[in-house]
Amino acid sequence: MISNPEFQGGTTEELVIEASEAVRRRKPGRMVRVGDHLRREWQLYLMLLPTIVWLLLFLYKPMYGLQIAFKDYSIFRGIEASPWVGFEHFRTLFDNDQFLRAVKNTIIISAYGLLFGFPVPIVLSLMFNEVLNRWFKKSAQTIVYLPHFISSVIIAGIVITALSPSAGIVNTVLGWFGIDAVYFLTKPEWFRPIFIGTGIWQEAGFQSIVYLAAIAGVSPTLYESAVVDGASRWQMMWKITLPCILPTIIIMLIIRIGNILEVSFEMVILLYQPATYETADVVNTFIYRQGIQDGQYDMAAAAGLFNAVVAFVLVISANTLSKRFSRTSLW
Amino acid sequence: MKKLHLYSRGDRIFVILNMILIAIFAVSTLYPFIYIAAVSFSSGFAARAGQVVLSPVGATLEAYKHVLSEPMFWISYKNTFIYTILGTVMSLLIIIPGSYALSRPQLYGRRFWNLMVAFTMWFHAGMIPFFLNMRDLGLLDSYFGIIIGFAVNGFNIILLRNFFEAIPNSFEEAARMDGASEFQVLWKVYLPLSKPAIATVTLFCIVSRWNGFFWAMVLLQDEQKIPLQVYLRHTIVTLSDDNEFGASLVDAAYSVETVTAAIIVCSIIPILVIYPFLQRYFEKGTMLGGVKE
Amino acid sequence: MRNLTLAAALLGATMLGGPVMAEEDLRIVDEPLELTIQMNHARYPRYKEDWPVEQIARELTGIHLIDATVGANTRTDENNGKTEALNLMLASGGIPDIVGSSRIKDFVNQFGPEGAFIGLNDLIEEHAPHLKAFLDERPEIRSAIQAANGEMYYIPYLPDGKYGRAYFIRHDWLSKLGLEAPQNVEELEEVLIAFRDKDPNGNGLKDEVPFFARQWPELIRLVTLWDGRSSGSDTYHDFYVDNGKLQHPYAGEGYRDGIKNLARWYAEGLIDPEIFTRGSSSREYLLSENLGGMTHDWFASTSGYNDSLGGKVEGFQFKAFAPPASVSGVRMEEHRRIPIKPDGWAIGYTNEHPVETIKYFDFWFTEEGRRLANFGVEGEQYTMVDGQPQFTEDFLTNGKPVNNQLYEVGSQLQARGYFQDYNYEKQWSNKYALEGIALYDEGDYLIDQFLGVALNAEEQKVYDKYWASIRTYMLERQQGWILGNGDVVADWDDYVATLNKMGLQEVLDAMNSAYSRQYG
Repeated sequence: MISNPEFQGGTTEELVIEASEAVRRRKPGRMVRVGDHLRREWQLYLMLLPTIVWLLLFLYKPMYGLQIAFKDYSIFRGIEASPWVGFEHFRTLFDNDQFLRAVKNTIIISAYGLLFGFPVPIVLSLMFNEVLNRWFKKSAQTIVYLPHFISSVIIAGIVITALSPSAGIVNTVLGWFGIDAVYFLTKPEWFRPIFIGTGIWQEAGFQSIVYLAAIAGVSPTLYESAVVDGASRWQMMWKITLPCILPTIIIMLIIRIGNILEVSFEMVILLYQPATYETADVVNTFIYRQGIQDGQYDMAAAAGLFNAVVAFVLVISANTLSKRFSRTSLW
Repeated sequence: MKKLHLYSRGDRIFVILNMILIAIFAVSTLYPFIYIAAVSFSSGFAARAGQVVLSPVGATLEAYKHVLSEPMFWISYKNTFIYTILGTVMSLLIIIPGSYALSRPQLYGRRFWNLMVAFTMWFHAGMIPFFLNMRDLGLLDSYFGIIIGFAVNGFNIILLRNFFEAIPNSFEEAARMDGASEFQVLWKVYLPLSKPAIATVTLFCIVSRWNGFFWAMVLLQDEQKIPLQVYLRHTIVTLSDDNEFGASLVDAAYSVETVTAAIIVCSIIPILVIYPFLQRYFEKGTMLGGVKE
Repeated sequence: MRNLTLAAALLGATMLGGPVMAEEDLRIVDEPLELTIQMNHARYPRYKEDWPVEQIARELTGIHLIDATVGANTRTDENNGKTEALNLMLASGGIPDIVGSSRIKDFVNQFGPEGAFIGLNDLIEEHAPHLKAFLDERPEIRSAIQAANGEMYYIPYLPDGKYGRAYFIRHDWLSKLGLEAPQNVEELEEVLIAFRDKDPNGNGLKDEVPFFARQWPELIRLVTLWDGRSSGSDTYHDFYVDNGKLQHPYAGEGYRDGIKNLARWYAEGLIDPEIFTRGSSSREYLLSENLGGMTHDWFASTSGYNDSLGGKVEGFQFKAFAPPASVSGVRMEEHRRIPIKPDGWAIGYTNEHPVETIKYFDFWFTEEGRRLANFGVEGEQYTMVDGQPQFTEDFLTNGKPVNNQLYEVGSQLQARGYFQDYNYEKQWSNKYALEGIALYDEGDYLIDQFLGVALNAEEQKVYDKYWASIRTYMLERQQGWILGNGDVVADWDDYVATLNKMGLQEVLDAMNSAYSRQYG
């Protein structure tokens, strides 16, 4: 019910406009039609104007800078005067086995993150929705979003302490069951669960806010009639709440898919070790270790452009699928 | 809990189990904050040596004394408020009408404009070109530069637009009949209906302003204009021991750990205070209260 | 006290080398000349015209520096050496007359040849007698700072004092267990086993951590006990000079034997089991909890615990001991303070007064200038006692860290090119540190360091292409072996073959071609 009749309505309306114009004037020129449309809807364009001007001025105008991915860029010479090198930076990246490993690791971490991390805030918001005690609900919501405000350094420190083989709470608990202490942070097979778990723990509360807002937007009359029909809480959650917030979920999912090559660099740096590079090294940390972040803007731009292109291809695909099946889309 | 009798026994078990799970998760997420607070009240050495777990060790107020007596702390705190409040207002002023327009089906080139917004979420110019652009626009080292330069963000636009699209057409028909302009429709119909969405976007703006530091660091020349997060970083750099000169911290009343923790505690408090105000709008049913279908 | 004599000798040589100057000769220009300056350092993110030291320098030389720092709020990150502020300055288009920064070496050596900075060779030759004398005295410094084209682009900050890290051990534990400070690697192993098994902290628990380190590469440093190497400079995992050629320590046989034994030590519990994650707080924690037995760490800060923990941990004596002899009988302390830092200052290409500027740089290498750069203002921070600057009692005992106080008046600024005087640090060094330094002086355990090379474009390309990946691979294997994933002896041939396949030889060739150009 939430998905928009306007989507088709849009084309219908244009047809209507065209039809009425056709009545008024035979074969009106395109310019005239646009002029008419603008006269009627100028306020919409006025509303859009600041956003577009801002995007052009602050984001699109400096995008000429992307060309340094194809140049031997010297900050001193400037972008203009730096010589073109074609795809050399890309070749350098792709010639490197460790870069390919980093790409692979990034995708695996993101995919697992998507699988396990993406549903958590949704579940959390649905769970909050089922809490009746307002005081409890409010305090719990405030608390779960707190870790978002605590820097990665501190969160990582807490994780490292908790996983310490000698004094960490995790190994202490394992000890109760007679399990030998594990030096988790040096085990490649443990890195992904630790990293993804930390991410969920730190961010799920904050990420659930979007869904809380979506749930708040669901019309209460739907629940009222469901109660009358004798639906259980569980049924209402599945039959009303979830379908109503689906467009939001889809939008978030598409964006998340687009961020598949973006893995929180800071947290990886804090939690990984040479011993765990095998599973932990991601594109951003690879770039960092290559020393590329330090003034080698051209190489960093090449890696960034690669990320963006891959992300955008994925987003376009996801968006197309979504538009076909759910009529929700980013554009 | 009074309403509980309205539900079946199964519902009741469901609700209670749910609360227990939430409580467990909330306790675990509260821990980092408790830890930070405990460190901020501990002695410099205890904090450095990792002796703090749950409560302060060698309890002292020295870290706070140090932080609160620094004029730069207050200046940067004030700046953070300026950037956050004015920046959020600026963002909303641009984003709300923009998202509304993008949600309207009759907008020509609607797909194109939306694509234009989405594109910026993945393609970035890079630091140096952005910096040079800000310089060319004369926005280096100014409050206004920071406020305007980061006002729009594709994600927030898409989020808000998506919410606007979800509002059934029927709501605006009456207003249309009365010959309301687009501005009036937005103001009188859509805004009241979108309180949860506006609250969300507002919160996101506030939070990103509050936590943002990188560009403030790069664009601001004058130390008097830096926000709290930049000050926090400067403090960490200044207090971290370099060079390995003798100065042992065993007797120090405060250390980089406790001072950092104290600043973080101070910076989280306003966020804690603001949240309940916005939280009201996440309550179910608030949006439709005033409007009858 | 060899340090002091060395410093005095150098200073003497410097003074003899240049013309003997009367005080008024320090003046460079008759009319005051204004020059702009960019100055970045974590501790003083921009130039302050009201630093007392600067005011005196201004009076003496007639050169007025004006702050024009770009990106002051970015701060230079000492840990990763990011020079964001310098990049911003360059991107902005204008380079001030003088650019002083930490981590400036690679920056000027890259952009100097492109034309952003003025080459200093001729200027020094013709107009900077004190600098010239200094560089003639220590040609390795000249070699080390050169860019690939043979031109010098910056005047470095030159630290004084030789000693950095040393072996520290709980002497009170040793005497409690009836042991002596270990003299060789076998004895060291016995001592560590005793620390592990004989409960030196007397709490009845087997909770002692025989060897620990704040930075895990310090564990790798122990390969020197098996005649391996871990680094050739004060940077971890760096190349080292072996018979006039650069080698990488992690490809040598001594390294292999060392890792084999360290892996065994790790498995046997002689090494902190959490050495890779315990991090910077380990020293505070393990010492104050009476758990840690031995480490390899900085003289000054580690000695400090004898004062501060003396009353808290009974009998606490954590003192330096001489490097144990390796399997072949060599006693070596691999770490030392590097005699030359990548910090300092340079002349921007738009500077219209390069001659006056180099003279100004030279001023800081005069006796007067050097004292100003090291000790602050006479009568304020120090007084002259027997012809030597001596910090005032009040300055040393007011509770504030000495180096911070000096930064505040504009002294010891490492974004300035100057020659440090170890005397300044000695006056406030802990007595345990001085004892340890005397011990190390006696044995003469230090070795020469690799001071770095400037690669030309071609060499740089080879280096950029291969090196970071090779290093990553080395570290992965290194930690793996220590943790018991694989056996270094069994894996060694494969490992070496992989390094060669990854281009180690190419990198070494590039490094060596630069090395022989610079130091040959």
